[in-house]
Amino acid sequence: MAMVFGWPMLRYSWLSMHASSVLTGLEPVSNQGANWIRLLEDARFWQDAVQTLRFAALSVGLEIVLALAMALLLDQSWRGRGVVRALSLLPWALPTTMMALGWRWIFNTPYGPLEQMAQSAGLSPLNLLSNPDWTWLATVIADVWKTTPFITLLLLAGLQTIPDDLYSAFRLEGGKTRQALTAITLPLLTPYILIGILFRTAQAAGVFDLIQVLTGGGPAGSTESIAQYAYLNAMRFLDFGYSATVMLAGFVLLSLVIFTAAVLLQISGLLRPLKS
Amino acid sequence: MPLMRRLLLMLMGLLLAVSIGWSSVHRPEQVTILMPAPFVDATADQVKRFNAENNGRIALNVIRGPRDTESISDLAISSLLLGTPPFDALLVDVTWLPKYVAADWLQPLDPWFDSDDIESLVAGAQLGNNVDGALYRWPFGADVGLLYWRKDLMPEPPQTAEELVQIAQNLRAEGRVKEGFVWQGRQYEGLSCNFVEFLSAFGGTWLDPETGQPTFDSEAARLTAHWMQQLITQGTSPLAVSNYSEPETLQAFKSGDAALMRNWPYAWAELQSESSAVKGRVGVSTMVAQPGASPAATLGSWGFSLLRGSPHQQATAEAIRALTSPDAQRDRFLRQGYTPTHAALFHDPELLEASPVLPQLEEALSIAEPRPITPLYAQMSDLLQRQLSGLLTEKRDPDQAMDQLQGATLTLLRSAGGVS
Repeated sequence: MAMVFGWPMLRYSWLSMHASSVLTGLEPVSNQGANWIRLLEDARFWQDAVQTLRFAALSVGLEIVLALAMALLLDQSWRGRGVVRALSLLPWALPTTMMALGWRWIFNTPYGPLEQMAQSAGLSPLNLLSNPDWTWLATVIADVWKTTPFITLLLLAGLQTIPDDLYSAFRLEGGKTRQALTAITLPLLTPYILIGILFRTAQAAGVFDLIQVLTGGGPAGSTESIAQYAYLNAMRFLDFGYSATVMLAGFVLLSLVIFTAAVLLQISGLLRPLKS
Repeated sequence: MPLMRRLLLMLMGLLLAVSIGWSSVHRPEQVTILMPAPFVDATADQVKRFNAENNGRIALNVIRGPRDTESISDLAISSLLLGTPPFDALLVDVTWLPKYVAADWLQPLDPWFDSDDIESLVAGAQLGNNVDGALYRWPFGADVGLLYWRKDLMPEPPQTAEELVQIAQNLRAEGRVKEGFVWQGRQYEGLSCNFVEFLSAFGGTWLDPETGQPTFDSEAARLTAHWMQQLITQGTSPLAVSNYSEPETLQAFKSGDAALMRNWPYAWAELQSESSAVKGRVGVSTMVAQPGASPAATLGSWGFSLLRGSPHQQATAEAIRALTSPDAQRDRFLRQGYTPTHAALFHDPELLEASPVLPQLEEALSIAEPRPITPLYAQMSDLLQRQLSGLLTEKRDPDQAMDQLQGATLTLLRSAGGVS
């Protein structure tokens, strides 16, 4: 932990208090917190923060709902379930950059399949990747497609820990099948859902490759994530001091979000089944 | 026989020492160069030949880097940051050079390439290799922006910005072509390359050549911004160009859906291939310019740079010279279509026969325009791309966009001490 987490954090904190760029010959020179003042005034960072958070919130939200539906379906026994279970994992197994390239092609105007469908439906070109208000939804769609299988798998595992006896007993007592979902399945699945949310939020908040390939942060910078901004500063601009600052600030923001969520969960009592 | 045994041992020891010494003297000097994958393939034969000619003296190894420009930059920078990179030279893109020099990673090539060598290069290839008067890069191939036009749709390529719009719109109105003019409008480096050419069409430059100050508040910059936005709002170009990089642009033109295209020389070979719907119907010209303004062709191109601290500088310079020799360039042009850098090759009958557009390439190279040569180029270009992307996709007010861009670029240069 100290090696892989503690040391980099210390190093980043130290670097964020220094200027280290081509202008200093890449030597760190102390600059008394100028990076942090610049960050506070940097509208682009805050825009990226909002974008990163809304991307994470919407994609994780959609993924949980879809994954729950798929897990419930795949938990039933029906012919060909094994094949479908294996197939449903496919998007998750693909390298992100490859699938992002695929989606860039799908959204391509006018040759992509999506535009072709719109065209045959008599619609005007959608230009989904050329709209600063809507393009971020395209990144969400690609992310949901890719990572829903991961949560599905997690929830499926959760579903299989629920003993069948519970359902039999519920039916014996006169409960309806539909009620079993809210009375048994969801409460017992809650810990797994929370773990899924936690994993995926941490991942989505650090989103980089998907957006880099699909939109390059555009149009007009509307889809740029914090990780991308940090990367630009380090690897393109060779401004390591500010890059470390952006990275740390992103980490602090994410920690705040997760901390708030954890406190709210604690108060709501949803975590209780985890402890028993 | 203790004496005999001792003598024998001494003799064996001596033999061993001599053979080790001999092999280390005669072990060929290892030279390693990092290149993007396509260039590795393009130079494979020349590397083999160089190694055969220098057998036992120099062994040239090539590291196969990723294909994508940004990925190879990441790889190069990561290994340079770690201190001693496992290569002696690398291929660098023209815009990286000042940044690498500022980071003190490169060694000047002046001792190995003199003014005669430089004068043997075609005009455009002489640019973008020097920083602060020292030669830090030797060009691998020449690369500039071109205007491709459809011979079956127009008798002559457009000469002015207005003509371009008119031709494209007339052709669309007559229903002879789906789209007018396609170019690279995605938020990435290509958009900056396109902008340099459009700006020159209206008589502007990115930085004032005298003062080094940004000139986005100039009349030329405003006209350019309005023109670019109108290309889309008035239907000269589809809105989709605001997400086009080179492959999408080429696809639209190659499938016969566009009348005009801005792209690099590599597109020519693609357009003449069997899969091209416009084979034999394409002309090559340079970007338009308004009367009184001179057209420009944005300078691209890769070149070899020698790393500071390489223990094999002489051998590496020899390898660079071999890989960029006129023979090597002739080979690459005939086989893979890489534009040569040696001026004489543009008048070589064999090459002219292979490609009828060589004269147009030479002409474009004579008006090559480098992007600003500063270590802060990546930041400046990033600011420009974001504003232009907003201009194209959000209908942002062009005058306001240019004002904001001027302010942001000034702030950047000031914070970096670039403008007094």
